[in-house]
Amino acid sequence: MEAEQAEVRALQAEIAALQQTCLQLPGPWEHASRIRQSLQEIHQSDSAGQESSKDPRNQLRHLESELSFLSMLTGFTITDYSKKTEDLTTAEMTDEGVKKVLQRHRISGNCHIITFQLEFQIVETQSKENISSVITDLGIVMEPTEYSELSEFVSRAEERRDLFMFFRGLHFFVKWCEYRKRTFTHFKDKYPDVVHLPEGPYSHCMGIRGASCPEFELVIVWRIHVDMEGKVLPQLDLLPGVPRQALQLDRHGVVDTAPQGFRSLLGVLGIEGTLESLIGSMQ
Amino acid sequence: MMRKMKSGVLAHLEGLEAQMNRACKRSEKPWRVQARESALGTKIRELRRLRDKLKAEVKRRQQTTEKASLASTECDQTVETREQEALERKRESVKAILQAYRFTGLSGKLTSRGVCVCISTAFEGNLLDSYFVDLVIEKPLRIHHHSIPVFIPLEKIAAKYLQTDLQHFLFSLCEALNAYSGRKYQADRLQGEFAAFLTGPLQRNSLCNLLSFTYKVDQSSSFRARLLYEDLTVTLPTDVTVTPQGTEALSALREEQRAAHEALFRTEPLHKVFASFAREEELSVSVAS
Repeated sequence: MEAEQAEVRALQAEIAALQQTCLQLPGPWEHASRIRQSLQEIHQSDSAGQESSKDPRNQLRHLESELSFLSMLTGFTITDYSKKTEDLTTAEMTDEGVKKVLQRHRISGNCHIITFQLEFQIVETQSKENISSVITDLGIVMEPTEYSELSEFVSRAEERRDLFMFFRGLHFFVKWCEYRKRTFTHFKDKYPDVVHLPEGPYSHCMGIRGASCPEFELVIVWRIHVDMEGKVLPQLDLLPGVPRQALQLDRHGVVDTAPQGFRSLLGVLGIEGTLESLIGSMQ
Repeated sequence: MMRKMKSGVLAHLEGLEAQMNRACKRSEKPWRVQARESALGTKIRELRRLRDKLKAEVKRRQQTTEKASLASTECDQTVETREQEALERKRESVKAILQAYRFTGLSGKLTSRGVCVCISTAFEGNLLDSYFVDLVIEKPLRIHHHSIPVFIPLEKIAAKYLQTDLQHFLFSLCEALNAYSGRKYQADRLQGEFAAFLTGPLQRNSLCNLLSFTYKVDQSSSFRARLLYEDLTVTLPTDVTVTPQGTEALSALREEQRAAHEALFRTEPLHKVFASFAREEELSVSVAS
């Protein structure tokens, strides 16, 4: 009797202990959700704390939407990126608690119709007090290459290893290019017989030829200049195309003063207003 | 946790135990001793069954734990997982491209209410401070908070472009911040590396667009330089005046030097000008010796 009771007590104790162990070990259904939960945490920290879905397909979709949003926000579409890292830390540096790393980056993408490919190197030096990152080399390849104003700017950016200046300049340059195209195309569409674009919609000049006097032509040259600091400025000039006989008749020197008048008109009416009034005067 | 445990296997086992306890209690009333003995036997048998079941459960859970920790790294048995790997690779590639945006100087992360834009600055290849602007995408668009220094005309730029052209707003801010970073970098370098040339403290405002200092390049008297950067988007001064310290009239040579310095400050970054002074000094020293 006592032996059996003792056995009962022993069994009960054993069961209690096993129950405790069970409590500590996760059940099979519990484990899967724990993996999913930690994955979710990783993705949450990556994707700006948004409630990302547990499905990797949805995660990818979320990341891709983030990418297209950034592309729309910046105007740059990055299509490819690769990075290689090389450790330059010497034994002496390690003794002083300094770490030096060379990063080689390659970015491909486009800004509207202009595609770019950049290769640059960054040397990152990490000491106990601070971290310094320096771009040590920058190479830029751009297409199309017809924009001569851009090629000078690109060489300057490469020289100064000024990556951000390149992108800023590119953005403003493309913006002005697109505005010029829209403006010229607008006038071409509005006055197809009077206005002509010798190089197509992306032409840098626009010709205005009156139907009544086809020998007279006003040529508007619109250059987009990028200065030393990467600032983009439009430069508009008027080139009157006047036959020689007409010049001889021009006693008041109207033709000579036309370019200056054009520039003052720009200041008053703005680009579109000035072009509109010029076309009007030729009709 | 306890409540969850009660479902499933354990609940069943506990139920069995309860049942058994009730059976034991019931069996106590008639045939006292014998009944008790057989009840005990039954109890023991039930308890043993319960214990064995629990042991098996513990063993099973332990095995699952081991398998699961391996599974997280090698679940490549089915087509599904191969698909998952391809998805994973695509995901990594998209993530990498998202990271690459910081090299354009302008990047951002989506937030629950809009976007947090990060503007990076640099000067002559040196990567400098980054700033952020947290935007709430509503009508009207508004800045939730930001880390733009107070002396940068953020409100002015926002008033001009924020509602009509967000891209222009961001790039204008980029311009202003990069220029400020560049001016600050030059002033810091002067105060640090080339402090030996200064004969007095460098006077600078927080925007670093007005600098005033006295300096000396050779054994003769010092000059006072005043640099004004009226355009907040430039890193080279728009106005430079170099004046001699002291009251004596300048010799022709000194006047030439003054004019040359004025031109230098206008065309070269500040620290580069002083670097050239340092090189000249080295040369003259080596020539002298």
